[in-house]
Amino acid sequence: MPGVSSDSARGALVPLSPESPAAAVYPLRHGLKSPISRLSISWSRGNSLRVSVFAAPSSDGSVNDGDGGKVVEVKLGGGDGEISEAHWRRMAYGSVSPFALLQSRKNAVSSLSKMSMNSSPYDGDWWDYIMEYSKDINALLVNQKSASVPVLDDPKSFITKGEEPTSLKAAWELLEMFYAEKPSHSWLPERLVDWLADYDSLFSGTHPTVHSKLVDFQKELVNLQVVEDDPKYWEVMSSALAVGWLNIVVKMLRLHGSYRLDQLSNRETENGLVEAVAVLISKMPRMRLEHEAGKLGECYKAKPDFVKAWEKWRGQINKLDSSAFWFQCAHQQTREGLRSMLQIMLGNANSLCSATYNWIELYISHFLYMRPLTVGLESMYSLAQKSIQLKPMASAHRLMGLIIGILGENTEVVLAECLKGFGPWMVAHAIELLTAGSDHAEMLLHEERQNLGGISIEELHRLVYAQVLSSFPLTWQIAPIYLISCMKHGMVLLQILLSKQPVQDNQLLLKSIEICRLYELHSVTSNIMKIAGVHHWKHGRKGSGVFWLQQARDEYRLNRIALQLFDSVGKTISDESFKQWEGLIQLLGSDSKTAGGLEFLHKYRDFKKSLRQIHDGKATDSARQAVESLISLMKNPSTPQRFWLPLLYDSLKLLNWKERPLLNVSQTNLLLNKLQELSMARLRPDFIESELPPQALNSVRLALGTNLGRAILEE
Amino acid sequence: MAFAESQNPLRVHRIPQSRYIDAVRWLSPVSPSDRFAAIAYFDADTNSPSIEIAYVDPNPQSSSPTLTPQSSWTSPSRISSLKTAHSTPQPLLAAATFSGSLHILASDLINGGVMESEATVSELGFHSGPVSAVDLREGGTECVSVGEDGRVNLVSFVGDSSKLSYRRIFDANGLVGYTAVKWASPSEFATGGYGFGIQWWDQRTSGGPVLQFKGNWCQGKTSGIVHSIDIHPSRKHTCLAGGSSGTVFAWDRRAAQQPIVLSGAGTGEAPNSLLSESEVWEVQYDRYTRRSNISNISSTRILPVMICSEDGILAVIEQGEEPLELLAEPCAINSFDIDQQNPSNVICSLEWESLAILTRS
Repeated sequence: MPGVSSDSARGALVPLSPESPAAAVYPLRHGLKSPISRLSISWSRGNSLRVSVFAAPSSDGSVNDGDGGKVVEVKLGGGDGEISEAHWRRMAYGSVSPFALLQSRKNAVSSLSKMSMNSSPYDGDWWDYIMEYSKDINALLVNQKSASVPVLDDPKSFITKGEEPTSLKAAWELLEMFYAEKPSHSWLPERLVDWLADYDSLFSGTHPTVHSKLVDFQKELVNLQVVEDDPKYWEVMSSALAVGWLNIVVKMLRLHGSYRLDQLSNRETENGLVEAVAVLISKMPRMRLEHEAGKLGECYKAKPDFVKAWEKWRGQINKLDSSAFWFQCAHQQTREGLRSMLQIMLGNANSLCSATYNWIELYISHFLYMRPLTVGLESMYSLAQKSIQLKPMASAHRLMGLIIGILGENTEVVLAECLKGFGPWMVAHAIELLTAGSDHAEMLLHEERQNLGGISIEELHRLVYAQVLSSFPLTWQIAPIYLISCMKHGMVLLQILLSKQPVQDNQLLLKSIEICRLYELHSVTSNIMKIAGVHHWKHGRKGSGVFWLQQARDEYRLNRIALQLFDSVGKTISDESFKQWEGLIQLLGSDSKTAGGLEFLHKYRDFKKSLRQIHDGKATDSARQAVESLISLMKNPSTPQRFWLPLLYDSLKLLNWKERPLLNVSQTNLLLNKLQELSMARLRPDFIESELPPQALNSVRLALGTNLGRAILEE
Repeated sequence: MAFAESQNPLRVHRIPQSRYIDAVRWLSPVSPSDRFAAIAYFDADTNSPSIEIAYVDPNPQSSSPTLTPQSSWTSPSRISSLKTAHSTPQPLLAAATFSGSLHILASDLINGGVMESEATVSELGFHSGPVSAVDLREGGTECVSVGEDGRVNLVSFVGDSSKLSYRRIFDANGLVGYTAVKWASPSEFATGGYGFGIQWWDQRTSGGPVLQFKGNWCQGKTSGIVHSIDIHPSRKHTCLAGGSSGTVFAWDRRAAQQPIVLSGAGTGEAPNSLLSESEVWEVQYDRYTRRSNISNISSTRILPVMICSEDGILAVIEQGEEPLELLAEPCAINSFDIDQQNPSNVICSLEWESLAILTRS
């Protein structure tokens, strides 16, 4: 809950949160000079607050510039520092298609498995679908600001700068390898080795890492004449070796002074030892499917082959370790450095521990050199626990919590770490992976819970994510995709979301209506149209208002509007303004159903048209037509009573037609009856007097009387 | 439905912009190899609208073209309509805003695309509320603007005064709203609005439209709004219009009140064979054709038309033939423009803050 700082003179918002150690202060730039008397705070779009600042009225009653108040928006938080809002939106857009595709495939798979009871839903293509989904999402997480890879290979540069890694991508790849890749857990340790090679730098922010040490050393390297004299050279190489970055180690070894042509002859033994270690490193057997091209190490897919090669390799290391050549190596640092590297390769626990900087690095080194045959999450978990004991950390990185959760096979912890560390987008999309292959997780996440209002954890997180999307003006349109995948509350929230959208702009309005059409929310459509219609009407855009109310088939409001329109019709339908009305009347169309009470306008227009033609001189025929229109108008129940007199007054010319009476007896009687009815109605208190000359009624009555006499005579 | 990929090679490149795109137009190039585009952006993070001139490098070596921003102009409000006129070397832009102002900009493409605001109308009473559409007369010095407030204004910019003078052609006082406009000749133009109505105007005749194409012709079916109008210079008697419910129709002024429906409402087709059921945001005659001579096409036949729609379709429609779908995006295509000089190039703006550039060959 954000609270208002009592010090209103400074004008700042201070969010109060019991957990956060330091309160963030957001300065308000409201530019008011007078003291502030009142603040009103509400949520604006996204993570912005709308703060209305009311200034105190000045004491002397004078009005100054800057009095009154101001509304300012305050953007809260910077979100995730490593991902910009634009990138976040790009991820949100990009994840729509993979998510929707996976949902439809899930539905297809589940309906298929219902048809044939005995087949498991997780057969055949299922893992391909999950993997495709995961890869599609993963591809979105690539940072756009990736540095270009230098074309020239600098022999002295051992760290290549590729794309800037992000914690989010690292986290997704962890989930992918543990949950999406068709379970082949025997490869997992090696997958983790690769993962750390890509993302070790992420941990550098708070703690030293092998990567940060390498980067530091790379910087110093330019100033070093004789690398092998520097203890850091050996230290850094041992560290890189411990986490299995073999290419880097071999490349660094080749920087050793004994390779220089001028020194080769007198440091022959030393160089032989360096080269021997380099060769051993590059021949390291690895239990994995295959390597990227150019990566050192030899891969074995089958366990017996690997064990054989592993024993042979360790034998070679032992043999080198106990060889007599070491005594002939004059350079002390080289001798010691190389032998400590051999200890790492032999899996000496102390060497590994001192060569690594945090528990994950230690953990990885154990996989590589001590327990390459570790299989199964349980043993991986206990090894992780042991590593944490050996290298405890004061503050854990968000990725470390995630790894522990995954290894501990604790779905709740994984979800909580995802939410805490990476936000609602991550959780909503990661759940798909968590439930992919585990019946236990599926049960846990799909079970409807009373404490969540009867929804499942999966639905809860989708709703939360949809809520985040809905609050931003550019992403609200993709929230429906997630809402409709929520069985319990999704549809209702979707209706609320659509009903809340602004209606002022046609383009946005039509986008909302399009979403309604897709999900067949006809009642929402007509509600939105009604709101839009009234909005336009109120703002003087009568044509737009009538159009939207017609589209909504809102008889009630059209009739109400008709009453207002008649007021302006009485005053403004003159010959000049006829063109304006023409368009509106055309819009109303001849279909009286959609026109509501506005049908009257149509007939009134026809009547006025023929009257005008009489003035133009096309006499009798037009006059006859005008009489037809007049009679049909007076007969029609939709003609409002208050128009009767103006209509008759307009028709005085017809009633007093010189050549012959235009109305027959029954027509005249009809009009006289109407006139009588009108006189009675005038006695009622709610009667609206028309703006006609006071003698209007009498002159109409006289004209009708005269016409009746003439008509009787003629008949 | 035919797909373009199977018939002729089509290269599509989507370029994320990180900003919402309100409108996009090609600018006429100075030399045949140059290509420039004007893009109306809205930055949601900073709430700032702008128009940028970008150099489009087709980049034939690598696979993706690049956009290089040349210059930028900050708009006082979001752009509701953007049109360009092809005068070299300084193409003109007319930009209308949601706050009811109109801006004429000139871009000097030879000197790095520097964009200058030539003139502005923003006084009260020009339009009440947003300007819904604007059109710039080709090579001319006049521009017509319409709004839902029912006003039709003619803005002329002769001389070098930064204040534009405008003349009110008509004011429907909100009884009728206009949502699209297109010049037909130096004195005539067409407007479109609610109920699929089209009005034909002649600025020499005052007091309203000279000819009306009655709205609500699709009786009984849902009616809609005209979002875009195009008129082919060689076929001035025909107005092409696109609007709601996937409707694309033409009105031949010689043939009174019967619309020629190319797609959507009233075609009587089964719904699943429709090209699109949602809003058609823009229509343009597609000058890119494999036929040797368009004059061979009978004058009663409608020339090929390109459309873009809310449900993410960019397609070419030919009367009486299967539509050719160029793009089917997961999000709306809000606007597009065909390069006048080289009609094989199409640029379009996507709802999800990106541009797509298509090259047909």
